[in-house]
Amino acid sequence: MTTTAPGPAGVEQVDADRDLGGATAQLTTIPALTPPHFILEPHPVLEPFPIEPSRQALPARRGSPFVDGVLALSLAAVVVLLLAWNIDGFPGLSDDEGTYLAQAWAVQQGDGLAHYTYWYDHPPLGWIQLALFSWIPAEVYPVALAVGGGRIAMLPIAGASLVLVYVLCRRLGFPRWTAALALLAYGLSPLSVTMMRQIYLDSFAVMWILVAFVLALSPRKHLWHHIGAGVAAAIAVLSKETMLVVVPAVVVALWQSTSRTSIRAWALGGFLSGLTLVGVFYPLYAALKGELWPGDDHVSLIGAWQFQLQSRAGSGSIFVEGSNSNLLLHAWLYYDTVLLLGGVVAAAVALAVRRLRPPAIAATLLALVAMRPGGYMPAMYVVQALPFLAIVLVGVLATGVSFVLKRPLASRSDGAGVWAGARWLRWAMVVVLIVGAAAYVVPRWYEGDRRAVVSRANSGYLAAAQWMRTEVSDRATATVVTDDVLWLDLINAGYQRDNVIWFYKLDLDPAVQARLAHGWRDVDYLVSTPAITQDPNSLPNVAELLRHSEVVIVFGSADDRIEVRRVKKEAS
Amino acid sequence: MAAGVMVVVSIALFMFAGVTLWWTMHAWRTPETLAATRFPSPDGTHALTFSLLVPARHEEAVLEHTVARLLETTHTGFEIVIIVGHDDPGTAEVARRLSQAQPGRVLVVTDNSERKNKPRALNVALPYCRGDVVGVFDAEDQVHPTLLAHVDHAFRSTGADVVQGGVQLINFHSSWYSLHNCLEYYFWFRSRLHLHAQRGFIPLGGNTVFVRTTMLRAANGWDGTCLAEDCDLGVRLSSRGARVAVAYDSSIVTREETPNSLMGLLRQRTRWNQGFLQVYRKGEWRRLSTFRQRLLARYTLTGPFVQAFSGAVIPVGVFVALFGDVSAPVALLTFLPLVPMVCNLVFQAVGLRDFGKQYDVRIRLRHYVRLVVGAFPYMLVLTAAALRAAWREYSGRRNWELTRHVGAHLHSGATSAAREGAGA
Repeated sequence: MTTTAPGPAGVEQVDADRDLGGATAQLTTIPALTPPHFILEPHPVLEPFPIEPSRQALPARRGSPFVDGVLALSLAAVVVLLLAWNIDGFPGLSDDEGTYLAQAWAVQQGDGLAHYTYWYDHPPLGWIQLALFSWIPAEVYPVALAVGGGRIAMLPIAGASLVLVYVLCRRLGFPRWTAALALLAYGLSPLSVTMMRQIYLDSFAVMWILVAFVLALSPRKHLWHHIGAGVAAAIAVLSKETMLVVVPAVVVALWQSTSRTSIRAWALGGFLSGLTLVGVFYPLYAALKGELWPGDDHVSLIGAWQFQLQSRAGSGSIFVEGSNSNLLLHAWLYYDTVLLLGGVVAAAVALAVRRLRPPAIAATLLALVAMRPGGYMPAMYVVQALPFLAIVLVGVLATGVSFVLKRPLASRSDGAGVWAGARWLRWAMVVVLIVGAAAYVVPRWYEGDRRAVVSRANSGYLAAAQWMRTEVSDRATATVVTDDVLWLDLINAGYQRDNVIWFYKLDLDPAVQARLAHGWRDVDYLVSTPAITQDPNSLPNVAELLRHSEVVIVFGSADDRIEVRRVKKEAS
Repeated sequence: MAAGVMVVVSIALFMFAGVTLWWTMHAWRTPETLAATRFPSPDGTHALTFSLLVPARHEEAVLEHTVARLLETTHTGFEIVIIVGHDDPGTAEVARRLSQAQPGRVLVVTDNSERKNKPRALNVALPYCRGDVVGVFDAEDQVHPTLLAHVDHAFRSTGADVVQGGVQLINFHSSWYSLHNCLEYYFWFRSRLHLHAQRGFIPLGGNTVFVRTTMLRAANGWDGTCLAEDCDLGVRLSSRGARVAVAYDSSIVTREETPNSLMGLLRQRTRWNQGFLQVYRKGEWRRLSTFRQRLLARYTLTGPFVQAFSGAVIPVGVFVALFGDVSAPVALLTFLPLVPMVCNLVFQAVGLRDFGKQYDVRIRLRHYVRLVVGAFPYMLVLTAAALRAAWREYSGRRNWELTRHVGAHLHSGATSAAREGAGA
């Protein structure tokens, strides 16, 4: 253990060598052990107290989490049932749904990120997630159209988002009834029912941004949760890039949640690390493929951004009658005015309420971006705002109710008779408010939701797909041009993958043009749908195809008219 | 095949860096854990007596100041035991004068061993210690007057056998590497050591460490042949089931300075790494009672070498990903280990800001720039130290590298070099 090599005498050796514990050394000074240097009396043993505090130090949650769980899950289950009922019948199938589902199909098949050249139109995480679920519909509902049935894959996402809205309300400090009402407002608004049924990337983004909010407001304030909030926000943005608008609201939530703590800087550092370090993998992917910067002979991420932000035709101002944005707004308002207009007004009010500020900022930012003069607004843009509109609407209502009921009643109760009367009056006000609101909302939402359950908007598509499957004999060799909705159904019907072409790829994808050496003459059928005919002049090759084809059979009428057209090759 | 290796190595490195990051951030997990890393406020009772060991080798320049500051301690029950070498009359003279000025309070013990190092010096003094608790300080340490009162209270309130107080390098502004070195100490003492104390396996620090005298004697003191005697002591006490309390308080932390040259840092780090390797090979940690503790021991003691491996392999992986012929998913995976490392850098920036607030120093933009720009070079220095340590251990060179400066002590520069020899 120790060295015992005897050395020369130490300095001013006083004591002789002492052998203690096997060590040899010299002590230079004789220690004088006199008080007050040492306290020799033993002290009473103190009760040990743990240096690491127990979990009890955490803020106590109100009520049992079990009740919350049962309540949220059962309400979400009811809403999901409503969503599932007639999911393929209403609303009408949209081109975008077909696009995302087909891209998810390509991911499932291991064909890369899309079945055409992936051109960074959206970050791919949305349909990569969809690919995880899109096998379900074929198992549970095999007779439906691919896109109509494919909507079933959105139900787990909707269910998760509904529960997350409940949890978020609880973490914002609202009582159970408020959280339950917010869940129902989010899930039962006819606008939500319409939008949540459809296969939109925005629904994935919504789920993840709600996860980010819930983690940012974690009552334990754990660093993991804050890093996780950043990761979830990054996944939300990589599911649908427009969710970037909402990220500042998550930062506000985190800022509020860590106020008066010693860990705020660490929490923000963790959040930003999670956000950027996950987010950076998207441009990194592009860079590794040599597709980050624009070039003549390849697609690129930056080029796609330039297109989205600069070149893409704007949809006009939301306030100008007749602009595309304005038409879109009216389409949304047709489904529901309460959540949309009421929510936007409530968001403005909620900015003043501290605990409602994060969802209010989210809703306000989304509204401001929608109101900007130029720019492009996609049809499903409103999906991102719906949960926040529901939370602020119900939150403002709840704040108002508690203001009316609890305001200084107790503290100034010196005149008992007066205040007993006031109490009665206040309750009456609340009852009138709630009955009035319910009388306004319930009939409208009932009508909208009933329509969602009974309408059959997609019978034309169904019949067209049926016809193409049974009446065309040369399916193995025929080349068909169609919209994105029918694409997967035709593949499933036995057409060759390379011979079923999305109509706009005829004009926009050089790889497709190269495959068709003789232009429109290499095409045998055109399944013409409203998506194709709404704006034929912007796509010259599609217009050419329409000119050189004749109608074989027509399904549906007027607005949803679907024509199967055969290409007239002899006439050239 | 090559792609498979890249995937496996990337995921392994990612997990290693991720776990290390998580442990580094232990103290800041929740506001409650951060609050618990501080010393509890002392109750004013002085129930324990302390023997404070100060090994001093060629320290005549700073010893007097250090001891004078120790004597300002508010605690009433302590003695200071200065250990001087028989071949170092200069320091011995200073020590003798100090002891004559404070008879009974300051004692001097002469170390006659032929090959001198810090653990041997400490062992020489151990038999003379009369306090209930033995504390160790280095001759250049600035110790806060209320530290002992806090430690006394910590011993009693936690029932601990060992109390490790915080040690902090302060001169972050001196050079680019001192900034990183200061932050390393900050994260180690402020955060990581608390995790080790909690889990029951701890490599103790070289000073501001307090052990109950009976336990220290039962453990046979320090290992005179080990290059990281502090780590070794911690491992041996841990495997005997000692309860360790760690506390960090920026106001009463023991202040030190970084090595004054990059080479000094490299040598110091080589010695620590080699010491860790020796402790690992001694295998005392195998006696730890639970599998988790043994895993933590294995992980901690080999950590510097895995880190060195990461430092060497990650740039290669990224190079292959950028210029080699690999598929996009595999190429993306090779960037995975960078995620926790960059995350660590972000937290270091936050830590630097925190450090500035705790120690009331102004952190400027250039310090943040130094932090970011210096991160990779600093990692290279650590990698070099780890490789050097492995090579020295492999080739059997186990001498206390810095003691060869002995004899050049009249040189002013050698004083601090020798100080590193005594410090840890």
